[in-house]
Amino acid sequence: MSAERYNRQIILKGFGEEAQQQLLRAKILVIGAGGLGCPALQYLAAAGIGHIGIVDDDTISLSNLHRQILFSTADIGKLKVEIAAKRLQEMNTQIGIIRHPIRLQKNNILDILSRYDYILDGTDNFESRYLINDACALLNKPLIFAAVSGFEGQLAIFNAPDHLTPSTNYRDLFPIPPDKGEIANCAENGVLGVLPGILGTMAAAETIKLIAKIGQPLTNKILSYNLLTQEQYTIEISHGGGYTLPKTVDEFLNMDYQDTSEGPQGYKEIDASELIKLQQLESTILIDVRERHEVPILDKQIFTQVPMSEFGAFMSKEFYQKHVVLVCQHGIRSVAAAEAMQEKYGDAKKIYSLKGGIVKWRDHFLKP
Amino acid sequence: MKIELIIFGKIAEFINNQNIEVDGIADTDAFKQYLENQFPALKNMKYKLALNKNIIQENTEITNHATIAIMPPFSGG
Repeated sequence: MSAERYNRQIILKGFGEEAQQQLLRAKILVIGAGGLGCPALQYLAAAGIGHIGIVDDDTISLSNLHRQILFSTADIGKLKVEIAAKRLQEMNTQIGIIRHPIRLQKNNILDILSRYDYILDGTDNFESRYLINDACALLNKPLIFAAVSGFEGQLAIFNAPDHLTPSTNYRDLFPIPPDKGEIANCAENGVLGVLPGILGTMAAAETIKLIAKIGQPLTNKILSYNLLTQEQYTIEISHGGGYTLPKTVDEFLNMDYQDTSEGPQGYKEIDASELIKLQQLESTILIDVRERHEVPILDKQIFTQVPMSEFGAFMSKEFYQKHVVLVCQHGIRSVAAAEAMQEKYGDAKKIYSLKGGIVKWRDHFLKP
Repeated sequence: MKIELIIFGKIAEFINNQNIEVDGIADTDAFKQYLENQFPALKNMKYKLALNKNIIQENTEITNHATIAIMPPFSGG
């Protein structure tokens, strides 16, 4: 290590040689080399983080350049990871930069995350954020979370216990992702380039604080930042309930993150625990597609009876519910009903079929 | 009872930061009901409430001069 390179932070009271050594030993994965990732990467590399991985499968486009400050006009069309790694390596020749030019999915994320000690999420969509959150919780990796919307940002550290509270995760704040279209992303909504610059830099600062064990990192807290007023508001996060966090690799692989590895099927097959969750939403209708004479008879307050023989007539009428859960005896007719509904409503409604049907989840349906 | 409202993100497009005076609202469940009646757009959104800077995970009593923050999820980057 060149002590001179890091001299100004080593001589800093409350930092010093020991903290610098901890940075050099740390392995950090930055997911997303975009508006948040670029500034975070620059400061993490400059500060002397020993191993930095970068994940991004995207190429540089002209509309990235106002906020993704590692890239120049001549880089348009090139892979973000390649250019970012090259720039960072030129800036700091003493650290290791690892390129991951891929999109993280259920089937590759655990392998990649397991090679790092800290994960920084600078992605731009909810599918990735929930995937990363659940993978970090499963692997027990501290997660530095930064996100922006409009002129505001959010910053938090998940999955890192402090001495007062066990670790919390993103689902303690927002148990399930918003519906598609409920919250716009930067591409649809616009963003002032300096905002992710500030949030990405703050995320780098939190990462350094966490590794060097200085100050009070935002562990079990979420900070809201407003660019227009320069106001910050910090909220304490406690453990919540009512969500499913995969506890094993198998459970993780069976989660639905709506990533591209999951094929074109529009409706989703669910289990009884997901049915219970959906049942609690006001915008859910539960439909029993069995014929009226079939047993067991389900609670008619909860399940609307629409036998397959009457299904066409039912679909010709409008109904307001957004989530449609279909059940039948074995989960076969309900798939047919789901396909029919998917064809008619497309993305306008979310369609679910109970896998295995009432027979498989008999205990759930027959409990008092 | 006086409550200070602090609003974040897209929700600030239809609810302003403000001090409100409400009666007959004893806890956060009742307050949530009140909010969704006043601002029906909230019903179709994911959001979290924080009472005096603590995330609400279960129904909690609200006392006079409480601060309640309303926060939606952000995903942009």
